[in-house]
Amino acid sequence: MTILLILIGKLISFVSKLLNKGSGSTWPGELALIINPKFVKKITLKNPNLKIILIAGTNGKTTTSLMIYEILKAAGYKVFRNESGANLLNGIASSLIKNSSLSEKINYDFGIFEVDENNLPLVLENLNPYAILLLNLFRDQLDRYGELNGIAKKWESALQKDNFEHLILNADDPLMTYIGYSISSSRTKRGDLSKIASSHSVPRKDDITYFGLPENLMTQKTLIHGADSIYCPNCGEKLIYKKVAYSHLGKYNCPKCKFKNPLVQKDEILRLTQDDKNFPLPGLYNKYNTLAAVTLAKSLDLKDEVIEKGLENIKPAFGRQEKIEIDAKFVQIFLSKNPTSFNQSLETIIGIEKNPNVLFVLNDRIPDGRDVSWIWDIDLESYIDKLKNITISGDRCYDMGLRVNYSMEFPISNSKINQNIQMFEDLQETIKAGLDSIESGETLYVLPTYSAMLEVRKILTGKKIL
Amino acid sequence: MKKYKLNIGWLYPDLMNIYGDRGNIIVLQKRCEWRGIKTEIISIDQNTNNEQLLNCDLLMMGGAQDTQQEIVGKDLEKKKQTLKKMIEDYVPGLYICGGFQYLGKYYKEASGNIINQLGILDMYTENPGDRRLIGNIAIEVDFVIANEVKQSKWVEKRKGPHGLRPQDDDDCILVGFENHGGRTILGSNIKPLGKVIYGYGSNDVSLEEGAIYKNTIGTYFHGPILPKNPELADWLIARALEKKYGSTSSSESKEKIELKILNDSIAKKAREVILKKLIKNY
Repeated sequence: MTILLILIGKLISFVSKLLNKGSGSTWPGELALIINPKFVKKITLKNPNLKIILIAGTNGKTTTSLMIYEILKAAGYKVFRNESGANLLNGIASSLIKNSSLSEKINYDFGIFEVDENNLPLVLENLNPYAILLLNLFRDQLDRYGELNGIAKKWESALQKDNFEHLILNADDPLMTYIGYSISSSRTKRGDLSKIASSHSVPRKDDITYFGLPENLMTQKTLIHGADSIYCPNCGEKLIYKKVAYSHLGKYNCPKCKFKNPLVQKDEILRLTQDDKNFPLPGLYNKYNTLAAVTLAKSLDLKDEVIEKGLENIKPAFGRQEKIEIDAKFVQIFLSKNPTSFNQSLETIIGIEKNPNVLFVLNDRIPDGRDVSWIWDIDLESYIDKLKNITISGDRCYDMGLRVNYSMEFPISNSKINQNIQMFEDLQETIKAGLDSIESGETLYVLPTYSAMLEVRKILTGKKIL
Repeated sequence: MKKYKLNIGWLYPDLMNIYGDRGNIIVLQKRCEWRGIKTEIISIDQNTNNEQLLNCDLLMMGGAQDTQQEIVGKDLEKKKQTLKKMIEDYVPGLYICGGFQYLGKYYKEASGNIINQLGILDMYTENPGDRRLIGNIAIEVDFVIANEVKQSKWVEKRKGPHGLRPQDDDDCILVGFENHGGRTILGSNIKPLGKVIYGYGSNDVSLEEGAIYKNTIGTYFHGPILPKNPELADWLIARALEKKYGSTSSSESKEKIELKILNDSIAKKAREVILKKLIKNY
């Protein structure tokens, strides 16, 4: 039966590619799961030597997955990963089908899967991973995902199953830390969480590891608007932040129950931060992604030289700082899908270029979230004066126009002052206008939502506008 | 022009701030500043007292996650009398989603558990626990009817293409995005903010959305509500100025306060794009 499903799946994938109907990245798995809901369970049990790594979190899944992929490849392992958009159980099933032989044999050492926030519990019911990396939770598509605490609770109860060998958590996100404490506490059956958290040395089992940014890299002194989990997940008291990296990531402690950042694995972090070249991609958020990947690599006892070699091979993932050349001009795409990722994109872009030309593309389709309210949580006021020309497009182009308008000292309608702002409903026209506004050799920085990113890439790589 | 200043009270900015409600504060502030009206944003939270709350000329409260709402609920008990006095005294305010629900008598959870609310407005909320009401929403409002108590000279002045009321039409359409589990049912002493053209509204039965009582507006609109519906922002600003600087009804020496008309063409287009998607033949 399973063999038949693999065969059909491979056929679908092949035909779909042949007909150019997308990459066919979820269809085969979807069909296999309809016919046999236990397909993933079966095929993974038949391949006990395949180590599966799951990566979940609002931001950074794709880049972290890519980093782990490169590091493991540098270590000589055979590795595959799911496609970034295909991160539900059906996408994982498709990826397993694609990399399986017809005899159900998966000839790889590692499968790296990024997993949708809501889908993690379902995935954990279907396979026993070698490692789970939980990166962060930020407000993102509340119409689809619901509230952050709700997701965290779902993760926490799914992890109680304890069917993993390693749990790697972001120490600087209070919700991730709380999940770790909760798992260790139910293991030690001490029950009272505040006791465990308040004892000076945090109990740590070897299989629960935390990663975090060194304080000297946290430059923000106070929380900005839109920081999410700033109340103690244990007792509800407002957390005190000594340092902030961005959003609610930082060095925190609870004045009431003493909940605070757990100890992180210092050795590799110190080593990494001694040399900036070990962080392969710009942006503070990519430092977190790198630390997560390195912590995973350390759990496998990989040598530093191997990790460094892997990191050297990193190129930006699809739509994440990806750079495309058009007639001696450059377009660099920074996927910006929620307030934190938008803020971090702007922060990183301004780090690259003092007065950048930007293009914002705001869509409201299902992969973007139907609700565009989130743009009002972007800290645009902090960046607006540094932006040179601003071009705006997307399904909700005027919503973004309003956001930009209200971040400025004078209304956009004051055309004498605000002549650097243009809005177009048509994306192709927008990209053309954006490119026209820059000189040869310069870069146009594009900040699109998810579906907008795919559209922008299609226009640019299809070279439709030329 | 006389120097005006409004103190805008933002209730629980870091607890009741889910998904962009801050946009309402930004819009109120900028629309004042663009007209030369000074503003001060005052955060009202666990660390502020009732005197500071009383000092506000205009209030805004957003929605929140459940955990956060528990914390706010406790603190609001201490501010209940002051807030009630202000609302009864026509201090204008905008209360979104969770903030709106607080003003009612009680909130009944899906489990049947009843949480007492502030009881300032004649309404209650029930959460049946099944589906949330999520999606784009458009409603029709009639500000003049809503504001029967104090028919304002401001409304009369601001008729026009960008005014409170479209030129040849006394009705006005507001667009936004709703996302709520609670269903709010109004009592007889309170009017809905508008009639639902598209979407669910306060509950999925009455085809009514939000509430208006004196100068207080409660609604489930996210989006946030004010950027795309600047008429409502101006309505709140006008009420606040009128209350602070306007004459009492007995006085003859009426002060002339005029709200400068701003160019709201982007908001209009943003609204049109959504209405075209939602409503056939719009």
